[in-house]
Amino acid sequence: MDHAFSSANHAVVKHTQLQQKLKTHLAAMGFIAPSAIFLGVFVFYPLVKTVYYSMFLTNALGQPVKFIGLSNYGTLLQDKFFMKSLLTTFIFVFMVTLLTTVSALALAMVTSKHLKGTTLFRTFFASTMGVSVSVASVLWLFIFQPTTGVSDMVLNLLHLPPIHWLTDNTWSLFAVILTVVWMNLGFSFLALTGALENVATPLYEVADIEGVTTWHKFYHITLPQISPTLFFVGTVTMINAFQTFGQVDLLTKGGPNNSTNLIVYQIYKDAFVNLNVGKASTESIVLALLIALVTIAQFKLTEKRVMYQ
Amino acid sequence: MKKKYVMSLIAIVLMISIVLLGMSRLSRPVSANQRTTIVFWHSMGGKPADALKKLVAKYNASQTKYTVVPQYQGAYTESLPKYINVANSSAAPAIVQAQEIATSTMLSTKSTEPVSRLLDSQVINQIEDNIARYYTVDNQLQSLPFNSSTPVLYYNKSLVEKLGLKPLPEDPSYQDILNLAQAITEKTNHQTKGMTIEAYGWLFEELTANQNQLLANHDNGRESGQYATKININTPAARRLMTFMKQAIQDKSFVSYGSGDIAEANQQTAFLAGKLGMFMQSSASTGDLQANAKFKLGVTYVPHADDIARNGLTLGGASLWVNKHQTTATKEGVTDFLKFMSSAQSQAQWQLATGYLAVNKNAKALPQVTSAIAKDSNLGVATKQLETSKKNSVTAGPLVPILPIERTNVETAMQSIVNGADIEKSLQTAEDATNKALASYNSANHMQK
Repeated sequence: MDHAFSSANHAVVKHTQLQQKLKTHLAAMGFIAPSAIFLGVFVFYPLVKTVYYSMFLTNALGQPVKFIGLSNYGTLLQDKFFMKSLLTTFIFVFMVTLLTTVSALALAMVTSKHLKGTTLFRTFFASTMGVSVSVASVLWLFIFQPTTGVSDMVLNLLHLPPIHWLTDNTWSLFAVILTVVWMNLGFSFLALTGALENVATPLYEVADIEGVTTWHKFYHITLPQISPTLFFVGTVTMINAFQTFGQVDLLTKGGPNNSTNLIVYQIYKDAFVNLNVGKASTESIVLALLIALVTIAQFKLTEKRVMYQ
Repeated sequence: MKKKYVMSLIAIVLMISIVLLGMSRLSRPVSANQRTTIVFWHSMGGKPADALKKLVAKYNASQTKYTVVPQYQGAYTESLPKYINVANSSAAPAIVQAQEIATSTMLSTKSTEPVSRLLDSQVINQIEDNIARYYTVDNQLQSLPFNSSTPVLYYNKSLVEKLGLKPLPEDPSYQDILNLAQAITEKTNHQTKGMTIEAYGWLFEELTANQNQLLANHDNGRESGQYATKININTPAARRLMTFMKQAIQDKSFVSYGSGDIAEANQQTAFLAGKLGMFMQSSASTGDLQANAKFKLGVTYVPHADDIARNGLTLGGASLWVNKHQTTATKEGVTDFLKFMSSAQSQAQWQLATGYLAVNKNAKALPQVTSAIAKDSNLGVATKQLETSKKNSVTAGPLVPILPIERTNVETAMQSIVNGADIEKSLQTAEDATNKALASYNSANHMQK
């Protein structure tokens, strides 16, 4: 009887536990549901559909008409234009990430000394945050204008030959990189300034007592201390760079000679200008996989050096 | 806990109902005592947009049965995919403006009603033959040509006169252009560059058409029961055109502005600033240039190759398509509206406001047009250039689906040639890539054949 009682008691306890568990689960589901539904509708469903389209020949109306398995992928990997676009994208992303992070850090370092006018310069350097992509692009269009632009006026004053920024193969990609770096600078600058402000002053005081060089201080104190922010800025800039569209569309349309034809722009052209949804879907999936790979690589390679407190 | 669960459920239901409510608002009810609404998607910006709105307002004020609502849906390349998405649904607009190179794509949506079934033959017959031929497929006028243009050559006439040079003839040859470009460049000590040719697929198509070169096989894809299976890019005509361009580069009288909208904007800025002697652009720019040039503007036909007589041009621009899934009342309204838009009066007003060619034959006889041309002969050049074009499959224009891809490839080839690449090789690369795209398009879209 004793045994039976304990067993019954056990069952009751188990039952209430189960009920409790179920309740918790239901509540959790309720909380998750809104974002699950939104992610499902706006992220996962389109993703699955994109994979689906990438395995079809599609007609001009974007309807899948013939299942062709993975041959879209095969064609794409043999496509010279796509390969060139891929290479361009990698150069672009690498340069944008590097230049943005380095120049934002340099500017943040310069303004981290509390001198007269620092606030003014900080405001200037952060101000590109408030500029939209289209405004920035138009601004740079005026600068790059080959006959009446500011850049050539300056070069002319220095007795240098004019540079055809947007129409010369050798300069066009750099011109777009410059525009994007300029745009990204504001945010990265602000984030790094914040990080620099948070480095504990006693660390520097100790270093001063030890009498180490400025470079030593930067490399062994500042850099490790701001590494989480630096890592964050680098990752965000990289992902943004992969998705750059507006500047390319407004400045070069991917030209001249496809020299600024980033993959995102090629996807847009294939889907909405060339009306080839199958090809565009295939390119999108390849791009998604590449971004995932690069992000993983970045985490594996650089996160070890990040010092979280 | 339960409460929160219920709350989140309520929130979801609320959100869904907001979305549904929003969607139900999209369908417009039409009651008997109200005017029938006709939705008109267009892609006109800037000056032409104002002119279009004026025309529509004039129509709406002229009668009480219909209200035409013009809606800007972005540039041609933006509005086309939008239309394709809704073409066979209740969200489709009654009228949509589509670019000339989208003609084949618009037909493949199988969502349109040929305008020759709506409009009287009396109205149709007033449309300029060389314009109507472009949009005539299977002996039906598929859409109503509305804004049509051809490229013309613009040059700085004041500068030419100041330098003591001879103005260009009405129908110049490549050599005429090269001579003048070189003279301008040398006499201004390279302060003004003689000429440019924008890396623009449309110009390439027009200048090879002017040498009677078909862009696609099967009569430019117009042969009955056939469709284009080969696009010709590496042709003698194209090589002559590229050699002409290369010669100007060698003469150092050429400046490159690249391709796309910025190239257009930049060459126009340079031209207006007196830094560029000649360039080719749509006749639709005449009004803008005339208004902004601080010098005498010269306008002539685009040049023809030496020793090859001018064949004439095909047209650019856009036309108005009627969606077939509309109520009878809407269709009647559309018919009435299109009749108004294609009338000589409307077209004269349109031409004078924008520089597009009037598509109505009778427009050029109207006093407002004759007096404007008498005052400024530049305004009549494009019309005459098109009228005097030979009537053949080349000038009827290509009925080919993948022209945007063809243009991108041609523009790439033109730019690499400007940057020093071999003419034949570059053109062949463009031709191969284009035909590969065409073959893949045909296999996806003509499977039944």
